[in-house]
Amino acid sequence: MKPLHGIRIADFTVHNAGPFCTHLLSQLGAEVIKIESAMRPDAFRKPHPVYGRMGPATFDQVASTKLSVRINLKKPEGVVLAKKLVAISDIAAESFRPGVIGRLGLGFDDLKAVKPDIIMLCVSSSGQNGPDRHFAGYAPLFGAWGGLGEMTGYADGPPVEMRHVMDHTVGMNSAVAVLAALQRRRATGAGGLVDVSAREVASSLLGEALLLAAAGQEPHRIGNDHLAMAPHGVYPAQGEDRWVAIAVATDAEWQALAGIIGEYRVPAQAGISGDGALQRPEAPAFAGALAGDARFARAADRHANRAALDPIVSAWTATLPADDIAAMLQAAGVAAHASWTTPEIAADPHLRARGAICEVQEPDGKHRAAVGVPMRLSKGPEIGIHRGTPGLGEDEDYVYGELLGMTRGERQALEESEVIY
Amino acid sequence: MSASSNAPLTGLRPLDGLRIVLTARGVAAAYAGRLLGTMGAEVILIEPVSGSPLRRQPPFLKDGVSALFAYLAAGMRSRVLDPGSPALTALLSESDILIDDTPLAARAASGLDEETIARRHPGLIHVSVLPFGAYGPKAGWKAEDIQVQHASGEGNLLPNGLAVELFPDRAPLKIHGHFGEMQGGIAAALGALAALWARPEAGGQFVDVASQDAALAVGAFAIQRLGDGSIEHRVERSFRYGGVIPCADGHVELLTLEQRQWHGLVKLLGEPAWALDPALEDSLERSRQGPMINGHIRAWASSRRVEDIVREGQALSVPLAKYYTPAEVVRDPHEKVRGLFQPVETGAGVFDMLVSPFQFDGAPLHLRSGPPALGEYDRFKAEARA
Repeated sequence: MKPLHGIRIADFTVHNAGPFCTHLLSQLGAEVIKIESAMRPDAFRKPHPVYGRMGPATFDQVASTKLSVRINLKKPEGVVLAKKLVAISDIAAESFRPGVIGRLGLGFDDLKAVKPDIIMLCVSSSGQNGPDRHFAGYAPLFGAWGGLGEMTGYADGPPVEMRHVMDHTVGMNSAVAVLAALQRRRATGAGGLVDVSAREVASSLLGEALLLAAAGQEPHRIGNDHLAMAPHGVYPAQGEDRWVAIAVATDAEWQALAGIIGEYRVPAQAGISGDGALQRPEAPAFAGALAGDARFARAADRHANRAALDPIVSAWTATLPADDIAAMLQAAGVAAHASWTTPEIAADPHLRARGAICEVQEPDGKHRAAVGVPMRLSKGPEIGIHRGTPGLGEDEDYVYGELLGMTRGERQALEESEVIY
Repeated sequence: MSASSNAPLTGLRPLDGLRIVLTARGVAAAYAGRLLGTMGAEVILIEPVSGSPLRRQPPFLKDGVSALFAYLAAGMRSRVLDPGSPALTALLSESDILIDDTPLAARAASGLDEETIARRHPGLIHVSVLPFGAYGPKAGWKAEDIQVQHASGEGNLLPNGLAVELFPDRAPLKIHGHFGEMQGGIAAALGALAALWARPEAGGQFVDVASQDAALAVGAFAIQRLGDGSIEHRVERSFRYGGVIPCADGHVELLTLEQRQWHGLVKLLGEPAWALDPALEDSLERSRQGPMINGHIRAWASSRRVEDIVREGQALSVPLAKYYTPAEVVRDPHEKVRGLFQPVETGAGVFDMLVSPFQFDGAPLHLRSGPPALGEYDRFKAEARA
């Protein structure tokens, strides 16, 4: 059974962060009614030339599994219709700039008047109050305000822009908060207002660095480095632009890695010339010596001497395919994984076995990979995406006809007056 | 002191009354407990006599006090218990949720495997949080955050923008800290609450969360674009203009996606002749001429202060943000008003700590306390008996 079956959400969210929240909840069984209009269609219904999409998207990840109805919120009758939907919903979700939904006549107090125990989710860039509440934002700005951009990057380079992962992290946090509010409603009967600030979500991902700063320290970005582990990084593998992430947490893991590097370095060195990188002066004469090299014996030594250690590891990794290195090191108990490209992820049997990658069918019958809800439930194997992007207004017979009991004539009149539009 | 420190600490929180047992060695499981605990659940961290390994994880405040542990464990109780002990079984029988990251191979020996928990505690929500999950060919694989990020896509796609322009040949780059593992924690909290909602009908159940799946979920657009026929690469993924802009005293982020925002930017730049070229009214043409536009923007910004650019830009509705340092976030007047931080005792002094990125009913949440001393719950109980 899908855990959230029976929960209904009136979804006014736009862009990515809010829609990703309701998309997750829809995959968990909530009935999510996406409210759009031909005047302001969802971004995925429009071309996006900056990303090279010259027409509407054939599949919209964050709209899939939702129902679509049209409401023109610029018309007073549209607001009345929206309230009718809210009155039969458990949750209303929105992600306009703070103040906009209230000016439309759909603020929390308006919604409570039609559904006293409504849970209202408001997702915004800086939260519903505070001096910056009116700031417009996109994912890179949330990352910049929140400190995550500043703390990400090469130590000798500039800060780094956060992209869609930032929006979607906001969405997943929002889903957690909404379910907590639902739990409270079950316990107390009370609905409530959930206020999620995207920049605060960014900050929440560096809480430990913020604590250091509060204590007077000055944390700074360190790239792929780690404050205690070595080796720890992304090392070149065989082939063009191929990389493998390796992290050694304990002395036992180091001994395992050093042993493996040894096995692979002996033949290369016996051939004398071989791989030029292996002849760096900091590399030991023989592989067997690496495991016993006092410079790298203990974690603190390895970390202090990582400038000497990393080239040795790189020289070895550069001779082998990234996936082979990962399999070999994992078998020896060392954390390692290839730096995977998107096609590799889409094809991965492990992710497919888990439903993290699933297949969806496009309107023309073609199949493509999509991303499932990130969990498996022992009593809910059917969670996940079960339909693609709804057409604009595709579900009005069900929502307006069955749920709201509107007649054909009523609906037609609202269509003619561009309320259902 | 934050503005919120005067607010009552006893208000009803969404998850008051819920009890969670947390057997966490890693960040993902601990963060799930942190999120749920901050919303009111009682979270009991089960530790070995030597303490959770997270207590020894950097960065450190002083005297070996881990800032990472302090942040993750704030508000929790600590009990020293052997995972296989009858005391833990007794505790689980009085709890709603178990969150566990014991490696799969070690679970049966501690009675923490799916079957044993389901048999002994049929009403318990049993949440497993592992880097690659509890099911599938890689379920036994190990990962630190750097592997989670590189196994889920975003690792290979960063850096972009200015950083990759400056260092095109360097290794791809992970996001700061424990980004990938924390996604696992957020997904685990979501799974726990979804299963809890279904409990009256379904009873307890096993929730299998993988940090890899969660990090992939937030990176879903790369998979969507793959289906559209394009493979993203960090070198080509940059915005054509805008992005990270170096200024005289720091960096700003600039992103103009809409026409009116472009017009605001032209005003901000002082309406130079190059920007008034009618051809640049077309967004596609601006994309094509992105490097030229960025050259002008960077030259203009290089002698200006971040604060001035942001102030003038915001007045013109140009989306601009300063790249705040951690210290600036902690001091941020906006966050003071919102009560994002709360002073707590960390074991190395009282410092402001981030509470929660979301609020309920217009008021910030509150941490019950800082991180617990090892085994403080046992001492508390012993004192209560005496």
